[in-house]
Amino acid sequence: MAELVLTAETGRDLGTRPTRRLRREGKVPGVVYGLGTDPATISVDYGDLRAVLTSDAGLNALIELDLDGERLLCIVKDLQRDPVRHDVTHVDLIRIDVDVEVEVDVPILLVGDARKVTDESGMVDQAMFSLSIYSKPGAIPNEFTIDISEMEINDSIRVADVDLPSGVRTEVDPDEAVVLASVTRSTLETIAEEEAIEAEAVAVAEAEAGEAIEGEEPAEPGDASDD
Amino acid sequence: MLMPKKTKYRKQHRGRTRGVAKGATSLSYGEYGVQALEPGWLTARQIEAARIAMTRHIKRGGKVWINVFPDKPVTEKPAETRMGSGKGNPERWVAVVRPGRVLFELSYPDGDVARAALERAIQKLPIKARFIERQEGF
Repeated sequence: MAELVLTAETGRDLGTRPTRRLRREGKVPGVVYGLGTDPATISVDYGDLRAVLTSDAGLNALIELDLDGERLLCIVKDLQRDPVRHDVTHVDLIRIDVDVEVEVDVPILLVGDARKVTDESGMVDQAMFSLSIYSKPGAIPNEFTIDISEMEINDSIRVADVDLPSGVRTEVDPDEAVVLASVTRSTLETIAEEEAIEAEAVAVAEAEAGEAIEGEEPAEPGDASDD
Repeated sequence: MLMPKKTKYRKQHRGRTRGVAKGATSLSYGEYGVQALEPGWLTARQIEAARIAMTRHIKRGGKVWINVFPDKPVTEKPAETRMGSGKGNPERWVAVVRPGRVLFELSYPDGDVARAALERAIQKLPIKARFIERQEGF
């Protein structure tokens, strides 16, 4: 089932300083729990963790955790990252049963070019970037793709419009918006500013033209204008 | 400019800015953003200048989120005043920022234009900051 094998070491020292030492050695501290077992503190190699989580399944990859010779089927429950360096500082792995549904977040990907929206100075606003679903581990989709090429201004795509494969369900409100096509407030303000500037320029030009006509002598027919 | 509608106390201590941001360290709304790389105070004027710089660059068809709010009053004593006689008058409002904090977010169809707009916004800030974009996965 799971082809991605991750070797973990147990029995790491707990506490800030041993954990920092561990990270300096290129390892990621973590914990594995689930299926009614006691949580076990582990450490995994950063490169190995990166390799198993950069497959097509992304962060929802099924991982076969090699824990002191015992093979456990797991998925990543949580990743803690450094806010500045963005590297992983801790990993939570949860044990799963192939026959029991798990809750995972699946990324939502927009495809296509919403020409009708962009032509009218609108934009497609993605309000939801991942959808929380319940599925058996073997049926977790890699991603949901939504085609936005037919969208128009004030259109929306909601959770109910997302095609869920069989065996996959979600408890998110079906009316919740995933994608909205609209003209933003800042765009409306920009348009209003541009129109105001244009109107002012026209008014100034008209006023100048009016002054010029008043200031001119009535021209005799046949007079040369550039004399 | 951004400022609180009302406050419980008019004046605050300066405080110390230690550590890194403990929240708002990743993009929540937009596809692109600006992330602080060092601690500092952003004044309401600087936030407004950054907002104007990016909205002028994207012109239309984008959406901007400002994730910081200047809720800390900064006092100053008048020029050529002798020390003492109490704390000065509140002169401006600042947002306290720690490294890692996402300051602005932006949604825009063209990634290159979005990057250029946010780079312009970064130029208006008194701290080091970087452009970030949403990435799924590891």
